[in-house]
Amino acid sequence: MNKTSFHILRVGLAITFLWIGVLIFKQPEAWGGYLAPWAANLLPVPIEQAMMGTAFVDILIGVFLLIDSFVWIAALVGALHLIAVLVVSGITDITVRDIGILAGMVALMADSLPKTLIDKIQSWTKRGNGSEQTNQS
Amino acid sequence: MTSFALLFTLSTIGISETVYLIRKRIALEKPICPIGGGCEKVLESKYNKIFFIHNDVVGLLSYIIISVIAAFLVIEVPPATLWSLLIKILVVTASLASLFFTYLQWRVLRAWCFWCLMSAFTIWLMAIIILVSAVI
Repeated sequence: MNKTSFHILRVGLAITFLWIGVLIFKQPEAWGGYLAPWAANLLPVPIEQAMMGTAFVDILIGVFLLIDSFVWIAALVGALHLIAVLVVSGITDITVRDIGILAGMVALMADSLPKTLIDKIQSWTKRGNGSEQTNQS
Repeated sequence: MTSFALLFTLSTIGISETVYLIRKRIALEKPICPIGGGCEKVLESKYNKIFFIHNDVVGLLSYIIISVIAAFLVIEVPPATLWSLLIKILVVTASLASLFFTYLQWRVLRAWCFWCLMSAFTIWLMAIIILVSAVI
């Protein structure tokens, strides 16, 4: 990804996560209303507390994206968080936008993965391919 | 709430700008200077500090305080009148400081720094938002 577009995406998503975190802190019970009943019943804590925790995580993700530190971890957690949101609330008129944000987070994560991790993934892939070829022969 | 949302958004943009400048300064790297080309001259001038503290650090602290206060105002953390007054004082002070630094670039250093101007416009936009929200 182009360096400029990466930073524009990073700051834009950081603002989104920070802002959502602040809004959830304002009205946690209202945001809890988006949860599907089956998901709300699974919560081990009151819905308000769970939403406060979500707000805290959102703000933390936003801060790391904003200061350009541990971007790949923040983007990974953010992407997993968005997948969880889509699962527990379903794809509605509002949550449909989360698909775009999720794609942005995955793009950020893919572009900011540390080289050591990429090398490890590549060596695992090569090893996997090598053992497959040995089995076939 | 719209004005606080805008102030919060602008202050986070300010945080990202100042963090970028601080990181580049600590790493002893030149920042990218897309427009103007005078970033180095301005950022390495004798005016880059106020009372031994780098301007980028002062800017970062100001933006963090503004964003936290804007968030408090949105969440309605009491006392709202105090937060409202504080944010106005901060933005006005920062606007005047930005005016001074822009004058320095224009008349004294005769060089334009993209990041400094972007920060100045961010702060001035915040001041305009506060003024407009007071009128409406």
